[in-house]
Amino acid sequence: MDLLIDSFISAILLVVSLDTEMVSIVAVSLKVSCASTLMAGLVGVPAGFMLAFGSFRGKPMVITILNTLLALPTVVVGLFVYAFITRRGIFGPLDLLYTQKAIIIGQTLLIIPVVMAFTIAAISRIDERYRKTAMTLGANRRQTGWVIVREARFGIMAAIIAAYGRVIAEVGISMMLGGNIKGFTRTMTTAMALEYDKGVFSLAVALGIILLAISFGINLLFHFFQGRIRT
Amino acid sequence: MLYVLSQLTKIYENRTVLDIPELEIEEKGIYAMLGPNGAGKTTLINILGFLEPPTSGYLQYCSMPVRYSESELQKLRREVVVVDQHPILFTTTVYKNLEFGLKVRGIRKSKCQRIIEEALELVGMQQYIQAPAHRLSGGETQRVALARALAVSPKVFLCDEPTSSVDIENQHAIIRILKQINQVKKITVLFTTHDRSQAAALAKQTLVLDHGRIIPTQRENIFSADLIATGQNQYKCIIQDNITLPISQAHVAGRCGKVRVFIDPDKIEFVRVGEGNFDSNSMQGKVIQVSAENGKIRVVVDSGVWITLFMSQNLYNQTRPLIGEQVNILPTPDSIHLLENWSQNPI
Repeated sequence: MDLLIDSFISAILLVVSLDTEMVSIVAVSLKVSCASTLMAGLVGVPAGFMLAFGSFRGKPMVITILNTLLALPTVVVGLFVYAFITRRGIFGPLDLLYTQKAIIIGQTLLIIPVVMAFTIAAISRIDERYRKTAMTLGANRRQTGWVIVREARFGIMAAIIAAYGRVIAEVGISMMLGGNIKGFTRTMTTAMALEYDKGVFSLAVALGIILLAISFGINLLFHFFQGRIRT
Repeated sequence: MLYVLSQLTKIYENRTVLDIPELEIEEKGIYAMLGPNGAGKTTLINILGFLEPPTSGYLQYCSMPVRYSESELQKLRREVVVVDQHPILFTTTVYKNLEFGLKVRGIRKSKCQRIIEEALELVGMQQYIQAPAHRLSGGETQRVALARALAVSPKVFLCDEPTSSVDIENQHAIIRILKQINQVKKITVLFTTHDRSQAAALAKQTLVLDHGRIIPTQRENIFSADLIATGQNQYKCIIQDNITLPISQAHVAGRCGKVRVFIDPDKIEFVRVGEGNFDSNSMQGKVIQVSAENGKIRVVVDSGVWITLFMSQNLYNQTRPLIGEQVNILPTPDSIHLLENWSQNPI
């Protein structure tokens, strides 16, 4: 119990004093998770939209596979990307392994299904009359699509926030593809794992507090958008 | 002719929801479309609004056959606008809702403002210009939807049951708006309704749909009957086991047995009890409704079944049937048609 209380007090001091190492770890974490969420949003939202709107054979199967991928273990993605970017892999010459770019690629692949699945759900909930109204008012396909996206904007926002929540807290990809290099690819979760291995908990608890604070902030944002939907 | 439909069908999952052999709609008219739920009214509105294609048949708009390519449909949709029975407004302000149709047409912002203000004024909603659209009541939503459709200056205005889900005050406002846009802006208006009197009051012509087919009148004067031969080339139909009416041989077309018959309300003779010659085929009944409709007088007589007849204004002035009065009516053999053989187009 003393260990926990002592670690917690040290952690609070670290947070308050804005410890340089801690700030650097948080900055790397935010940078890679924001970049991967942005990439996944750019790919996942249009792909989810097209999947929701398109009609083709095997669509239910594709959606089932997407939903399965929501539970994809991070280490599986890590292993998969590793096979491509290791020196012996086809992207080996690009020298991506143990870089922030590698983490971003892995995390993007991890959350594209999340963004797509949530976008499909958001678009599918949109009243069919919006499409009909846009069309009868003279909108072309692109303009009609934009109307649907606009009406589903809060649902799509929720998809992106959920995806961000997934990457900020993941550890497998960051560890396997980033290598936990201090000041370069060390993220909050990999740092916490390392501190645990070392048996020093102050930094791990401090990072845990920050991670929880970020999650809390994300949820506040999520509820703000949900509130906008209701009003 | 604005629209010409020929052998047009719409089939959903092997079910024919629309089957129109011939239909023509003139420009600048105001038309009502009557029919029960599931009659195909909304489907026809969607086809006329180029929102869905027919399964088969021919559709001509402004003397040009409609080709269902996306680019052509988009061009046509910019002339024809559909207002839903339960319209939905975009989740933004009333102004932005009206601006949408103008923006997709590339109209300048300064011009948009004036058009939007005019359209809202026409429907009496100008004070809501900056209001969030989703906070409006049902009647207000309906009026803003009309304004949004009007703002794009359509050539044809198709309204699906515009008054079905609004209060009396809004019903009157919507009827006034439809009349005004037809008379002042010369826009062709076609609206669906369940209310026959509303259709008669507003529309120049009425189209009646039943089970996807155009029928002569709205279920009135349509009965199930037994058709029997009573001699060589002589036929009678028996309605509800107690009303026997002669039917012209020309209308029978060799049929016998269970049929659906339609009694043409324009060809029923009317005689007050105690006046004129009594015909053994005439039926006695009580007048239950008298109303004016399209320059004629519509009289409904309860003679075991409700039978509607139309009389001229002159005949009405002479006979003056009163509600509750006992009268004789005589459906002439020529007035009775087997419904399957009846092909007169009411428009």
